[in-house]
Amino acid sequence: MIKIEKLHKSFGDLKVLKGVDLHVKAGEVVVILGPSGSGKSTVLRCINKLEEPTAGRILVDGDDIMDQKTDINYVRSEATMVFQQFNLFPHMTVLENVTLGPIKVRKWSKADANKLGLELLDKVGLKDKAHNYPEQLSGGQKQRVAIARSLALKPKVILFDEPTSALDPELVGEVLEVMKQLAREGMTMVVVTHEMGFAKEVADRVIFIDEGVVKVDKDPHEFFSDPDHPRLRDFLSKVVLHT
Amino acid sequence: MKLSHNFFSRKLAGIYIESIRGTPMIVQALFLYFGVPMALGLRIPPVVAGIIVIAVNSGAYIAEIVRGAVQSINPGQMEAGRSIGLNRSQTMRYVIWPQAFKRMIPPLGNQFIISLKDTSLLTVIGVGELTRTGQEIVAVNFRAFEVYIAVAIVYLVMTLSIAKGLRMLEKRLQIVK
Repeated sequence: MIKIEKLHKSFGDLKVLKGVDLHVKAGEVVVILGPSGSGKSTVLRCINKLEEPTAGRILVDGDDIMDQKTDINYVRSEATMVFQQFNLFPHMTVLENVTLGPIKVRKWSKADANKLGLELLDKVGLKDKAHNYPEQLSGGQKQRVAIARSLALKPKVILFDEPTSALDPELVGEVLEVMKQLAREGMTMVVVTHEMGFAKEVADRVIFIDEGVVKVDKDPHEFFSDPDHPRLRDFLSKVVLHT
Repeated sequence: MKLSHNFFSRKLAGIYIESIRGTPMIVQALFLYFGVPMALGLRIPPVVAGIIVIAVNSGAYIAEIVRGAVQSINPGQMEAGRSIGLNRSQTMRYVIWPQAFKRMIPPLGNQFIISLKDTSLLTVIGVGELTRTGQEIVAVNFRAFEVYIAVAIVYLVMTLSIAKGLRMLEKRLQIVK
């Protein structure tokens, strides 16, 4: 589904990614962990080209995103993103937020889009908020709307960029619950997060990125029980202290 | 245009805005009405010259208001629009613009009122606008006190109605009532 080869990304003189290789298969849930500043969000943002890669190759469902001929808007509609800060459209109702993609990108009729929108809002438990505006929702509710908005494109993969980092602790659970449900339904997901519990429970593979490269790429059981890489051991011991 | 990705249109917009903002409107009016005809040999009627000056002048300020409002929208909004597959112009149209427009209303109102009052400067090129008409009446009957109070009241009525109209528009665009 996603193939990243030798991805490099620099911001000016600062080299953030120094050759990242990562493959994600259809139906897989891959969690990316790493210390802050390690470049894990940058990897995610390169996949849908919100950041322009400096060098390397990224294939999303066979489309080379660096190729000028590739329709990047189409790629983005097949690899939608959920943001840390939700980024809901504040001037639209919850339902309009969800149906904008189907109507404008997929060219659905308004009636079909509304039907789909309500189904998805029901799925994330917010059908009764369909006609409210984002500012009337809690953070957890906003993020669940953002997930519904991503799902509305019927994408092949969803990219989650620290989806729970901006939430009050008691609201994290409801968002993770929706994400777990998606994982169970076979959605392909790439998740940058600090939620170790989610990684352990849901991930098919856990990636540890540090100093701009993938240091560890393992299934979650081995990843947490036998952290053989010194940097990973260090990272995990610090994270465990905080939870 | 100053937000454009094209270097030349960005530069051109910059030159326009800076040269208009950086010179007094009264000089612009005198230049267009007296200066340009001398150089090119064609006469522009005062009303036309006046309208051009007001339009070009407020255009420069409005351009800056629009730019400020668009740039004040969180970049995350553009990213969110793009991330669901909207292209740049669709995101501008459906996501950025409606939010930016709301933020433009107060400064736009300011600008309308300033432009309205600036029409009084067109007296210098002989446009028969409100202030000049007032002057002409004073020249006949010498009742400067009453006439200029009347002129001021007419300006006040016009600016207050603009302000009122914009307040109503702002209220209508408010999301949660």
